[in-house]
Amino acid sequence: MAEQLDAVYRYLVYLTGDRAAAEDLAAETFEKAFRTWRRFDPRRGSPRTWLCKIARTVAIDWFRAETRRRRREETYTRDVPLTEEFGDDLPGALEDALRELSPAEREVVALRVLLELDGPSAARVLGISQTACSTRLSRALRRLEERMDDVRE
Amino acid sequence: MSANDLSVETLLRTHAPNAPESLRARVLALETAPVLRQSPSRRRLALVALPAACALAVAAALVNGALDSGDKGGVVAQPAPLQTGAPRTTELQKAPSAGGAGKAFASPGADSAAVGAAPSVRGSRLAHTDASLQIRVADSDALSAATTRATQIATALGGYSKSVDYRTPTGGGGEAYIELRVPAQNVKVAIARLASLGTVVSQTLSVTDLQDRFRTQSAQIAQLHRRIAALQAALHDPALPEAQKVLLRIRLAESKRALAQRTSARKGTVSSGTTARISLVIGTKKAIAPVGHRGAAGRMLHSAVGFLALEGMIALYALIVLSPLALAAGLIWLWRRRSLDRLLATS
Repeated sequence: MAEQLDAVYRYLVYLTGDRAAAEDLAAETFEKAFRTWRRFDPRRGSPRTWLCKIARTVAIDWFRAETRRRRREETYTRDVPLTEEFGDDLPGALEDALRELSPAEREVVALRVLLELDGPSAARVLGISQTACSTRLSRALRRLEERMDDVRE
Repeated sequence: MSANDLSVETLLRTHAPNAPESLRARVLALETAPVLRQSPSRRRLALVALPAACALAVAAALVNGALDSGDKGGVVAQPAPLQTGAPRTTELQKAPSAGGAGKAFASPGADSAAVGAAPSVRGSRLAHTDASLQIRVADSDALSAATTRATQIATALGGYSKSVDYRTPTGGGGEAYIELRVPAQNVKVAIARLASLGTVVSQTLSVTDLQDRFRTQSAQIAQLHRRIAALQAALHDPALPEAQKVLLRIRLAESKRALAQRTSARKGTVSSGTTARISLVIGTKKAIAPVGHRGAAGRMLHSAVGFLALEGMIALYALIVLSPLALAAGLIWLWRRRSLDRLLATS
């Protein structure tokens, strides 16, 4: 379970860009998973895929609530930079590059790179086609590489 | 090895965040908490509910078919719905009996039994009887004899034949279309005797209550009589000015004309109530094919299929009613999906 918890947490950190929120959402994800474990069908995907789908639903609700809250408070701007760190001791350039990605791009990176889900599983979690998933991943990685190359030069 | 030497993917994996201990403790606490019993998933429910609904619909159709195909001796009585002011009508259709298509009413006893089930409007109420019979005979000679005999039956019972259309084409066979009028009280006897002319292929009998119509017409006539009497009394008044008298005469003439019309109409009603109409079709075997006969299973199946069709219509109606809601739900889902895409695309 510890391995799955790490995976879900990593995914949520990348998706939300907020470690505190990711922690709460991970707990909520597992609470839901324990409650609905009877619905898990191993023929339809691995436990990790199933957990990520739950995590995504939970995170989307959080995103919506956050958007409403920010609108209410009228402090929401798209230019507000994320201050949280995505990785543990991740090079600063890569942290910056990750911040520049959209949540949609970060989550595909998390699913495919960190959680090492295969293409079909990641696409199933995201609710998009495999082609769209691959395109999104390659675009995100290219942006990260470009940013790193800039730093290396 | 410096960070620059590593690929982005390796760096991301190497420095991936780990769940903090506080989160592990929270999840561990959740894991040990009692898990509530879950209701079955929607997919599973649908998988069970859909075949169950179909099975229920088929079972209902079969039960309906079994009940409808009960032993009715081939007689289907369909009382018409009663409406205020509308004449009451009852109908009876006699299909060929179970002994085979077109069983002949050979004996008077059988005839009585055959028409004994005929519906009738109760007691002394005025009612119009309309019957139609289709009879099959062996050949042209029998057709001729039966046609003659049919008119004789009507005459013997105090009626008459209104029209006779006798056709015997050169290719063989033949048919006779006979319109008979018989006194209402003799209609059952007439039908019984006519049925004995050959093999009854089909028989329809309808009785329409005319009592309400008769009562309305009588009331109108009585009112007209009273009006006429009043107008005539007024006209005899010497003090009435001439101009008024002219107006009253006009109204008197109108009332008399209306009275004549109403009286004639009531005569027609009475005539209709006292004389039954019988439409008789006599044909040879070539001309009149026997009506296909359904057995008990066939009737049940027929009824069940009809019921299923009705259920299908109801389902279709429900679908038509619900489709706008489904469309709205689909559009909402699409809109939410788009908004989600926008939300996640925001950096």
